Amino acid sequence: MKQRVMITGLGAVSAFGLTTDEFWQGISSGQCAIKTLAPLEGVKISIGAKLPDYDESKLFSADELPLLDRFSQLAILAAEQAVTDAGLKNNQSLQAAAAIIGSGVGGKHTDEEGYKKLYKDNLPRVHPLSIPKGMHSAAASSVSKHLGIKGPVFAVASACSSGAHAIIQGSMMIQLGLVDVALVGGTDSPFPYGLLKAWDAMRVVSDDICRPFSKNRKGLSLGEGAGFLVLESENHAKQRGAHIYAELAGYGMSSDAGHITRPDVHGITKAINDALQNSATSPEEVDYINAHGTGTLLNDLAETQALHQVFSDHADKLAVSSSKSMHGHTLGASSAMELIVATLAIYHSKIPPTINYTEADDECDLDYVPNKARDKKIDVAMSNSFSFGGLNAVLVIKSH
Amino acid sequence: MIKILDKVTEIIATNAKCKAEDVRPETELVALGIDSLKAITVIFELEEAFDIEIPNEHIQTIVTVDDIVNRLKGVLH
Repeated sequence: MKQRVMITGLGAVSAFGLTTDEFWQGISSGQCAIKTLAPLEGVKISIGAKLPDYDESKLFSADELPLLDRFSQLAILAAEQAVTDAGLKNNQSLQAAAAIIGSGVGGKHTDEEGYKKLYKDNLPRVHPLSIPKGMHSAAASSVSKHLGIKGPVFAVASACSSGAHAIIQGSMMIQLGLVDVALVGGTDSPFPYGLLKAWDAMRVVSDDICRPFSKNRKGLSLGEGAGFLVLESENHAKQRGAHIYAELAGYGMSSDAGHITRPDVHGITKAINDALQNSATSPEEVDYINAHGTGTLLNDLAETQALHQVFSDHADKLAVSSSKSMHGHTLGASSAMELIVATLAIYHSKIPPTINYTEADDECDLDYVPNKARDKKIDVAMSNSFSFGGLNAVLVIKSH
Repeated sequence: MIKILDKVTEIIATNAKCKAEDVRPETELVALGIDSLKAITVIFELEEAFDIEIPNEHIQTIVTVDDIVNRLKGVLH
């Protein structure tokens, strides 16, 4: 029989601050962490959810920093919070745990620093630690080393669904009995110069603010951060008397196998339906959906259409909100940060809002919990992630 | 002209987090905690300091501080 999977620890680092408490305080009170960025020559993107006053030298030793790209630093900070929250810091069972870590862009700060030296400054060499510091799995290795996790450890990349796919990997390992504990999550820091220019060129970043589902939405707002959850088999959690936030009841995955950036309603619908089936949930049981909700014209429309198709009459009873309107689109970290939001929404019986919502859209006609959080008991919540490249992942959690 | 031994000593001491007087010509790098990863960082910093390229074949047989100094002399002269 498959093991049931419980969420027993949470850790978030975001533009709201370095702690999960600051993250939830901001999200649950409808604050916007998307702010004006320091201008960069030639970069159009002017707003983003960047960690304020972040000083790596105060958080890591001079010995550690040469190997820690910013995305690895954020991962360590969030992962340490999650295992501490779960009461597993320095616990024997952490040694055998898995650590599966999603990232959309990986160690871009390191890559760009090296390339700038070569291509712009015409210098002859890059730093010799550029490879281990910048590789996509650097965050996974760094977290493993920092916390002494010696079980299955690797990175997952599926753009904006990376965190969700990592969470699913960890969940499957527990269900199969491969591990009792899995530290799962995502991390990204998308603010190096070249990456901002690339986002500029895609023309999907809002020059205004992120307004998911609002008729006047103009695109996404980038954010940085990391979100980690400790997943644990029900038996293991109960044996050690762990505090359980919620049950990770199931998941669904699909690929659009179509357009590289335009979301496909059929692909999204399949992932949602598979998640409902996998978690033995009827559509009518779902109370809250933390939407992918990027704030782009195409995503919000396709997601709304898919929710209508799957939930039919119940769609009008759903509370659907996009926390990206507050913490920004943190790429590979977003789905993990959003599962933390959904978990705490269940735990605190509070539905976070979609902020910056100012104009109803006839084609996006669901209850998006506009601008103000809502107190409501939630038994079942869903978290959606649909990435560039058409890689969809949907998670279902239940109150415990 | 930077004195080769002084610069080598300074860079090794920084990377090994030891005092300059602990870095003697006959000292083996491993004794100072300079593993292979730290060794390539030391070589990188020497290349930057002297604006030179140190070929791989010159560093594969380095054991002591003096070995580094000799390789550098070979490249510089």
